[in-house]
Amino acid sequence: MRHLRAINKKARRIDDLQTATDGDVVAMQQNANAAQRPHYPMGCSIVFSPGWEVDSSGGTAGLCQPVERDLYDCYISCYWPAQVPDHLNNYPEWTSKCAAATKDWRNIDLVFP
Amino acid sequence: MRKLFGIVAFASGLFAQIPVTDPLVVAKCSGCHSKDEKGNLSRISWVRSAPEGWQQAIKRMVRLHGVSLKPEEARKVVQYLSDQHGLAPEEAKPGIYYFEKRHLDQEKYPEVVRDACVSCHPYGQAMNWRRDAKEWDLLVNMHIGFFPVVEWNSFRGMQRGPAGPPVPGADTRTPVEKAIEQMKTDFPLETKEWAAWTASRRQAKLAGRWLLSASQPGKGRFTGEVTIEPGASPNEWVTRSTMTSIESGQTITREGKSALYTGYSWRGRSGANTNAVREVMMVSRDQSMIEGRWFWGAYDEFGYDVKLVRTEDRPVILATSVTALRAGKTTTFQILGDQFPTGLTVGDLDLGAGITIKRLGRQTQSTLIEVEVEVAEKAPLGPRDLAVKRTVAAGAIAVYDTVDYIKTASDTAIARLGGGSTAFNKGYMQFEAIGFNRGLDGKPNTPDDINLGPVKAEWSLEEFFAVYGDDDVQYVGTIDKSGYFTPSIEGPNPKRKFSRNNYGDVWAVATYKGEDAAKPKDGSPITAKCYLVVTVPQYMRWDQPEVAQ
Repeated sequence: MRHLRAINKKARRIDDLQTATDGDVVAMQQNANAAQRPHYPMGCSIVFSPGWEVDSSGGTAGLCQPVERDLYDCYISCYWPAQVPDHLNNYPEWTSKCAAATKDWRNIDLVFP
Repeated sequence: MRKLFGIVAFASGLFAQIPVTDPLVVAKCSGCHSKDEKGNLSRISWVRSAPEGWQQAIKRMVRLHGVSLKPEEARKVVQYLSDQHGLAPEEAKPGIYYFEKRHLDQEKYPEVVRDACVSCHPYGQAMNWRRDAKEWDLLVNMHIGFFPVVEWNSFRGMQRGPAGPPVPGADTRTPVEKAIEQMKTDFPLETKEWAAWTASRRQAKLAGRWLLSASQPGKGRFTGEVTIEPGASPNEWVTRSTMTSIESGQTITREGKSALYTGYSWRGRSGANTNAVREVMMVSRDQSMIEGRWFWGAYDEFGYDVKLVRTEDRPVILATSVTALRAGKTTTFQILGDQFPTGLTVGDLDLGAGITIKRLGRQTQSTLIEVEVEVAEKAPLGPRDLAVKRTVAAGAIAVYDTVDYIKTASDTAIARLGGGSTAFNKGYMQFEAIGFNRGLDGKPNTPDDINLGPVKAEWSLEEFFAVYGDDDVQYVGTIDKSGYFTPSIEGPNPKRKFSRNNYGDVWAVATYKGEDAAKPKDGSPITAKCYLVVTVPQYMRWDQPEVAQ
């Protein structure tokens, strides 16, 4: 199959779709021989870690839907202490303006540790 | 004998601890940090860090341990601790990206710290500290005390269910034990770099006129100058800067203030309103150059890479208005710099074989030369040095025939949803495409390829297929032709299944259609892709803007 080449527009589109759905993301590998791992870009935002802001594949498909559902769990259990303020020690008052997350999620603020 | 004793003491870390002599620090800290007979304060004397590290520690002491400090006292404490318990320039350099808020494709860290450290926070948070062995152990305890869940989700690894008996001879240490051993080796309190820096450092003498060259992704390059004058104290500086865009000709003027820590760490602010920037730079050891990043934006996502060089009594080439010249073409461009001699003739300039200097524009300023050059059809391809009399800018301009392929400035990028409230602003992303020529071997994607600098590509978004029926590209936001991505609003979106947020992962695609673009056989245009993650806002901002106040 690898010697077949798409010659018309439609065939090329099928080819592109195939590569997009099945292909490895070659551009993201630093070293082609290294074991492939999910790639987590570290943004200008500094804290960018798998689990909270991206899932274990390096994308967003596996995040909480919506992420606001996950806030209280992370806050109360201190689960992502570098991403979500923790109830335990540092920010006991963080959600004081947010009685019900489903309605008041917009009232919560960000913190500067 | 004395020398021998010195070596033994150095090797054993006997005198590595740093006594605290500042009365304010002693007064504010010794209530909890007990003082020994040598003037050491517990914990503090066995730790070193960058200004941001100390600022973060002090904020934690205020938040959790009842320290009360007025802002000017906090500034003095951070200054003292950064000066006396700081990092040597060589120690600070590898981790400075963390304070410069740079976008990195991926951080570099030893594999052994992946589980225990970087599963929660960037390695930059850890690598900008130096501690003795006991302090590294205590840091582990601190994490367990404040954030007990780390024991389970990172320090001991994510093992579920009972583990079988260990394989004989296997390394049974937990991830945190392995990581902390690495820290003790890589980041000890006592280093020859710190010993050398504390022995030779001197009061910085930065006053004077400095030449600025800068670049901003998507906006091109800038040249200008910065005047630095002494401020209220020996570690404060007052600045006036002007920078002019080579692309648009627009000039921005800023006035600012900066603090200098540890003799080389520049932390400043300048400009007002939409031109306000924070400055994080390092002064070179000989105090002739200052380099770093000036940044702004809700997530510090916009910024200039800035380099300042001290003016001396000689010509300097800062930049050229083009970075590449096409073979077989005549091009007019500008050389920007300082103290160019008057009365230059075509013979005073040189760009190597195959490039004829045709004409110089009328020289009206000592900072600008306008030049017309003709590049021969068969001129050798590759980077060229630009010489103006005896002043040479190495590799300033590349000669090429076609743009054979383009690359995005980074392989991955991140943007943040926001804009729905004042607390959570959007985290934007400006993309940039770089043009490349295939180089001498005639093959693209080989080490000899020639970087031609940024090219004007047209940008669009494409779906990154991660799940069945992936529809992220409809929700994440918009990109304009110049590659400026604006993310959508944060919060649940009732239009998406499960009220998902507008987050998603997509390709940002650059297409280059310039007349100098190579023409692939199948007629398709030259493109490049960057993986863009558009994700949720940040609820914690690990940022210490106070160090620049």
